[in-house]
Amino acid sequence: MIAQLILTVMLLAVVLYASMSYRQAPVIGLFAVISASWGLYFVWVPSHATKLAALVGIGRGVDLVLYVWVVISLIMLLNLHLKLRAQMELITRLARKIALAEASQEK
Amino acid sequence: MSMPPPDNIWVVIAAYNEAAVIASVVADVMAAGYRAVVVDDGSRDRTAEVAASAGAALVRHPINLGQGAALQTGIEFALARGADTIVTFDADGQHRAADIAGLIDALARHNADFALGSRFLGTTVNIPSSRRWLLKAASWFTRATTGLSVTDSHNGLRAMTRRGASHIQLRQNRMAHASEILHQIASSGLKYVETPVTIHYSAYSLAKGQTLFDAVLIVLDLLARRLYR
Repeated sequence: MIAQLILTVMLLAVVLYASMSYRQAPVIGLFAVISASWGLYFVWVPSHATKLAALVGIGRGVDLVLYVWVVISLIMLLNLHLKLRAQMELITRLARKIALAEASQEK
Repeated sequence: MSMPPPDNIWVVIAAYNEAAVIASVVADVMAAGYRAVVVDDGSRDRTAEVAASAGAALVRHPINLGQGAALQTGIEFALARGADTIVTFDADGQHRAADIAGLIDALARHNADFALGSRFLGTTVNIPSSRRWLLKAASWFTRATTGLSVTDSHNGLRAMTRRGASHIQLRQNRMAHASEILHQIASSGLKYVETPVTIHYSAYSLAKGQTLFDAVLIVLDLLARRLYR
């Protein structure tokens, strides 16, 4: 029960995080929300997880949940990467402005 | 459409650590009668000083941002100076200023907004066969993704009208800008022509060129760009 509660909190955090980043990266955000929701469902109905796990050839439902978690982590990593790129764009615009301002001063 | 006076033609040269060759590149461009702006992309060598003393206008990025970013900066600089025509030109000595006239002539003759240099319509000097195949593959990829019929998608020598230039807003800082510029030409709906140009490969320019590994990174850059706004 304790594990289920902790996982629920963590997965809810993912859902929250993903829906907040939905505006910057719609694809990633949507995917993260969907996977985290599935995670929540399986945490509370593990027997379904076990059935689905057996269906796709994984031994136990717990393992399936674990794999889903790994996938979510990777998606968050990708999202972070995309955010860094967006930041780089801001830095670029800033640096360009400085460069152009300095160039016109020297004239 | 008549030929614009040479005074309003700006040649944008993005340079990163090119102190060894930038003076001769600038001299070549200016001897042909064009205005040159060198965008020093945060070089660690004396590129900026050498370019300025060769007579080019100088814009210095405070930090290294990449060639795409430098070209965009140069284009904006030229637009702010009232350029009618903007030419992008590599800093490593691969291009010949003599080819610029052909590009500008092509803009006027075809009433186009972009004239793209093509080494495969023109001539290449000392091109290694591996480089030739890589470039052919890149052009095929570009044709497939943009629908533009170009023979040489990764040629840094191009000319554009003021109207064309104002449609270009490069966001790919690194090398993927070559594909990005073509995407933006395609989506602008403006007319483009390909014009033969000569590319001189030297040991120096080859060392600075792109490899197959870079090509993979470029494709990843382009894909990543589609994942966010």
